[in-house]
Amino acid sequence: MGSTHFLKGWFNMKFKIKTNLWSGIIMGAISLLMLILMPYQVRVPAYDSGAPSPRIIPGVCLVIMLVFSLVLIFQSLVLKKEKIVEFDWEKEKPAILLIALLCAYVALMITVGFIAASAIIFIIILAYCGERKPFIYIFVIAVAIGIYFLFKMVFNVSLPSGMFF
Amino acid sequence: MILEALAQVFTLSNMLMIFIGLVVGMIIGCVPGLSVMLGIILMLPITYQMHDPATAIILLLAVYVGGMYGGSISAITLNTPGTNSAIATTFDGYPLAKKGKVKKALDTSLFASVCGGLISAILLLVCASFITKLVAGFTSVEYFSMGILGISLIAGVSGNSLPKSIISGMLGLLMACIGMDAVTGVTRYSFGTSVLKYGIDLLPAMIALIALTQVVQKLRDFRLSGGKLDDANKIDREGITRKERRSIIPAILRSSAVASILGAMPGVGGGVAQFLCYSEARRTSKHPEEFGKGSLEGIAAAESSNNAVVGSAMIPLLTLGIPGDGVTALLLGAFVLHGITPGPTMFTKQGVMAYTIILGCLIANILLFPIGLAMTRGVAKIVEVRYTYLAPVIIMFCFAGSFAATGNTKELILCAACLIFSYILTILDIDNTPLMLGMILEDIMEKNFVTASMAYDRDYTIFFRRPISLVILILTILLLVSLMKMNKKIEALNQKQIEEMKKEHEQQDVA
Repeated sequence: MGSTHFLKGWFNMKFKIKTNLWSGIIMGAISLLMLILMPYQVRVPAYDSGAPSPRIIPGVCLVIMLVFSLVLIFQSLVLKKEKIVEFDWEKEKPAILLIALLCAYVALMITVGFIAASAIIFIIILAYCGERKPFIYIFVIAVAIGIYFLFKMVFNVSLPSGMFF
Repeated sequence: MILEALAQVFTLSNMLMIFIGLVVGMIIGCVPGLSVMLGIILMLPITYQMHDPATAIILLLAVYVGGMYGGSISAITLNTPGTNSAIATTFDGYPLAKKGKVKKALDTSLFASVCGGLISAILLLVCASFITKLVAGFTSVEYFSMGILGISLIAGVSGNSLPKSIISGMLGLLMACIGMDAVTGVTRYSFGTSVLKYGIDLLPAMIALIALTQVVQKLRDFRLSGGKLDDANKIDREGITRKERRSIIPAILRSSAVASILGAMPGVGGGVAQFLCYSEARRTSKHPEEFGKGSLEGIAAAESSNNAVVGSAMIPLLTLGIPGDGVTALLLGAFVLHGITPGPTMFTKQGVMAYTIILGCLIANILLFPIGLAMTRGVAKIVEVRYTYLAPVIIMFCFAGSFAATGNTKELILCAACLIFSYILTILDIDNTPLMLGMILEDIMEKNFVTASMAYDRDYTIFFRRPISLVILILTILLLVSLMKMNKKIEALNQKQIEEMKKEHEQQDVA
């Protein structure tokens, strides 16, 4: 689909991900960063209401996260306990593409509205999944319109109708 | 109180909700790859409009009940369990279907599901008031400790790495911390963006983490397999006879009893119970040699056990406010969204509602029988419908539902962000059940934490000094260690059983 020739060789690879090690590194980095940012991101209230500081719960969570990230790294490097997940680009490409399409769906929904966004994105998704029957396409568009009015009439929620209407 | 509740249950809207819930549950449960959790999440936005929280919870419980039975339909017709709780049903359901006796297998499954569900719902009714009396002395200190117990147990039993699961649970708590703090009015980790200023709403996050993640994975498989469907067995007309029905009753009773006890233990859940019940039924059966070759007792044991878990899993949720597995965690989320905190206070302050919910669960199980009889054939057809019809409907509903949570487009953005985040977690092999539970429990935990700290003048040692709280915290560690050991053993046992059954089925296929 989207990948050019230049990228193809790169993307045909299979990675072996050491999940314990990488989870430890990524989650450890996140918790450390959040801890460093805490004084800026969580301000102490100006006056004391007797309530515990709003920093306590996130702070404790972050410290626990950091500790167990270090445990994971220790498990991987010292104890050699590792769970290896094979990342096969061929298998993951559809998942990543679908997630990207759903993100595009959100962007479209905000700009052109629920029905139009659904029509555009699901036609792409169905084509990508290899659907050839025209009925499925009509069905999906009909459902989009149906859900729009279901939410409007029954649940009193107006789904985004786009900035152009 | 129960009589008052009885009058409240039998309203037209409640009956309609039970009907809708059962049918939706059966359909979602029947489609392999879509879990009962997804069914409940899809129904959540709909419950937003309901005035009576009890009706909302009853609808979700009906989905749960229907889903547990629905999982067996594809287990029997396709040899693919529709839900994880129906794996043991394939052991005997599929061989029987191979012999052309699909209807007999389905009837057995339905009968066993209804019996199992009823027994546990009655147990729930009996135990609930008893347990709430025991825990009536709990204060916010104890509730906070209970929250710790809940998260630890879920982290201990989900996924296969404790550090990863704990990190996942902490991530959940953190995500719920983002945004305006209700007590002090301080914003936390909003990074100056308006999207994060009001926090991450529960509904969009759950939709993305559970529902969308599942649908994307299934669509990917569809694309990779080129949309091929397994051949489903045709449903014949020969149902179960009265004599056969009588012969499976001992197996049903035994399984329901075992599963009810297991289900009531937080952190065990339905996936585990089925295998234990199955091997127990085989051990005590008069015809153990038939197991794996299409024994009705085998189907009955597996199916009654997974439905028996529904009622008993509600016991810790309703009485203590701690969920035992992913589905009950979601139900807790539903309670929170409707502004109810499960626990003993629910039975004292909103007793009628608590009993209405329990009775609703009971009635959903009773109604499963006629609805199952009437709808199974139709539901089984849905498995044969191409997934490309179902996926867009579910995805649209997910996004529409998350938007409906507050009516703000930021929910859609959060939804997409959570979906990406959830995918990264999948790659790192981190289970997101503890994360979900963390998000749900944070609100309750922080409230109790604040109340407790204010009451004891910010003396944080109080959580270790109050005896009941200390006992709960010690219990957390003890339970965590023993549950993890037990789960490992059971896991090995189950794996052995699955392998054994696979071999047995292969032999039959050859013959």
